[in-house]
Amino acid sequence: METNVKKENVIKADNLCFSYEESSEGISDVNFEIDEGEIVLLTGNSGSGKSTLLKCLNGLIPAVTEGELKGLLSIEGEKYSDLKMYRLNQMIGSVFQNPRSQFFTDNTTAELVFPMENYGFTKEEMQERLESLKKTFGLDELMDRNIFSLSSGERQLIALASAVTMKQKVLLFDEPSANLDYGNAMKLGRILKRLRDKGYTIIVADHRFYYLGGMIDKVLFMDEGKLHLCNSEDEFKNGDYNTRSFDLFSIDIPFREKENAGEVVASLENVKYKDILNDVNLKLNKGEITVIVGDNGAGKTTIAKALCGSIKPDSGKVDTKGLPFFIMQDPDYQLFGTSVKNELELVKNDSAAIDHCLEYLGLSKYKYKHPFDLSGGQKQRLQIGMAMLCDRDLIIFDEPTSGLDVYSMLSVSKEINRLRDKAGVLVISHDYEFIRHIANRIVYLKDGVIEKDFILDEHGLSDLNNIFKEMQEDKNV
Amino acid sequence: MKAININPIVLILVNIIAPTMYMFISGRYLQLFLLIFASVLMVMMGRYKRLLGFWLVYALMMGFYTLTMYMGDLQYIGLFIIVVVQCVPCIALASILVSKYNSAQLLSALETMHVPRVLVVAVTITIKYIPTFKREFSYITESMRLRGIGFTWKKPVKSFQYFIVPQLFRCAALAEEVTAAGLVKGIDAPLRRSSYFEEKFTFADATVLVVFVVGLVGGFVWKQM
Repeated sequence: METNVKKENVIKADNLCFSYEESSEGISDVNFEIDEGEIVLLTGNSGSGKSTLLKCLNGLIPAVTEGELKGLLSIEGEKYSDLKMYRLNQMIGSVFQNPRSQFFTDNTTAELVFPMENYGFTKEEMQERLESLKKTFGLDELMDRNIFSLSSGERQLIALASAVTMKQKVLLFDEPSANLDYGNAMKLGRILKRLRDKGYTIIVADHRFYYLGGMIDKVLFMDEGKLHLCNSEDEFKNGDYNTRSFDLFSIDIPFREKENAGEVVASLENVKYKDILNDVNLKLNKGEITVIVGDNGAGKTTIAKALCGSIKPDSGKVDTKGLPFFIMQDPDYQLFGTSVKNELELVKNDSAAIDHCLEYLGLSKYKYKHPFDLSGGQKQRLQIGMAMLCDRDLIIFDEPTSGLDVYSMLSVSKEINRLRDKAGVLVISHDYEFIRHIANRIVYLKDGVIEKDFILDEHGLSDLNNIFKEMQEDKNV
Repeated sequence: MKAININPIVLILVNIIAPTMYMFISGRYLQLFLLIFASVLMVMMGRYKRLLGFWLVYALMMGFYTLTMYMGDLQYIGLFIIVVVQCVPCIALASILVSKYNSAQLLSALETMHVPRVLVVAVTITIKYIPTFKREFSYITESMRLRGIGFTWKKPVKSFQYFIVPQLFRCAALAEEVTAAGLVKGIDAPLRRSSYFEEKFTFADATVLVVFVVGLVGGFVWKQM
């Protein structure tokens, strides 16, 4: 019965295969059709071929990444292979994950006009288009600003606006939630819905997709290079794919057993810093995993920096027993070793302990690999290995699960849980699922003030949920 | 006095021409001329803080040079410094180029000079890497401090390696990411690129260039005398 009015096929893949020159990963026999005005979720765990498929869609395969591409991929009836990159990018807008490198310039206005300049628009055309973008995305406050001075949500908005400057009707997102807090991710969900209603076709590749709940038309689930296609959100929910959760607040995870908190390993007393922290008092104990939650910009990382002595507070007292072990968000800045083993030796030169640690983390077979050759999840766990070996009393993590799939997130949780036997652990996170897996205690920071500080148990749970709801409401548009 | 806007092309041209002139013109004359030229230009552009910094560096280096001239065995350091000091005015002007203009503006400026697109993109990325490098440098040194991997003179090569290896990996990753960012924004379009920031070549720009050229010609005359 194909006589019914059929929506226009925007993207079609027919037996699409790609294999890399240097690794065995790749995709094969991928078939799907995406119709106009659909929101499509592209997901799958690390190494499943999700990124490969995304690169095929945005044309970076074969433009940048080398390998063997077979099969057919077409957009609005035109074959990808017949399209030059600059033609393709007039139809597809891409939003990348990394705030450091997805911008070509460092000024918001320059970034927005950059594609138009490349396509030779006149100044009048550019001004007209800028005005309309400003209106659509509410960018009035953000024009002519330094991109690095923007908040993560604002940056996302600029990235999104610059992806549609050529009036592209298909939008591709690569892990948009990785650098967004909960409120901003939910806001992004609402923006995507509005764009869909205006006729945009949207493809989102992400591990986390709670912010898309109720609006997904199709799911492309990648598993070991093969595609499992679900034609509705419910079909995907009902299949037993092991993924991150849709409905965060209904997940059922046992609470951490109560333990008497050990000795105090660090404390902040009436700490003030610029206009970021305002009279913060906090005591951290051994044997306890404390999670700081709050919007981006609330001062969470500033607290960590104060504990590490990276910043001196304007007033108040910071007391720690020695330097804490601080695992920052981006592992690439923190790996210095020539091999995985050497990386751990830099922490503690004890080969028996290192072997034991690698065994526990399941990284033994990568012992002699260079740390930069590991995947994101493995790098994160190598850093946990460093934390396990170090003799510090306080271990701090800043967003350890950003960009991790469900398996990596669960093993990171398990391993962080073990760290509290030997130290106090402070975690900065807005990954609700992960927080539920590890937290003993929640500290809610809002505008530089500790609003709430409670133990996460049956009673504390509703408080935590309310905090997340509050963060979302603050971002309502 | 109102700060005037100088077209980045002027700064680029000055930076290309000035150093090569040392081959043709008396070094002492050119050194003095560039010092005055750069200072006046910075005053006109209202970059007083940078001017002060520039003078300070210049004075320190000249002072050190003069000092070593009285100490026989340190003369070679003095000679090295007097060579370096010649570049300081150019470096000062180049630093304005990097700090004042964003990459889109630089791209347009280079484009109007009819430099091939490949070179334009390469130069722009390189210039914009400097601030990125600064940011990344501070992340890495901070994370070395937290890891307890400090720089020690006892093992300079090892220490340097800790610092440089992650930086190299970051460069490689960044290069790929920036290429991708440019490609999806149509940087490969075989069209004449337009410019939102296109700055007209003004009377002030022309005057600055004329003064610069007259100064250089003066150098030739000086040499003849």
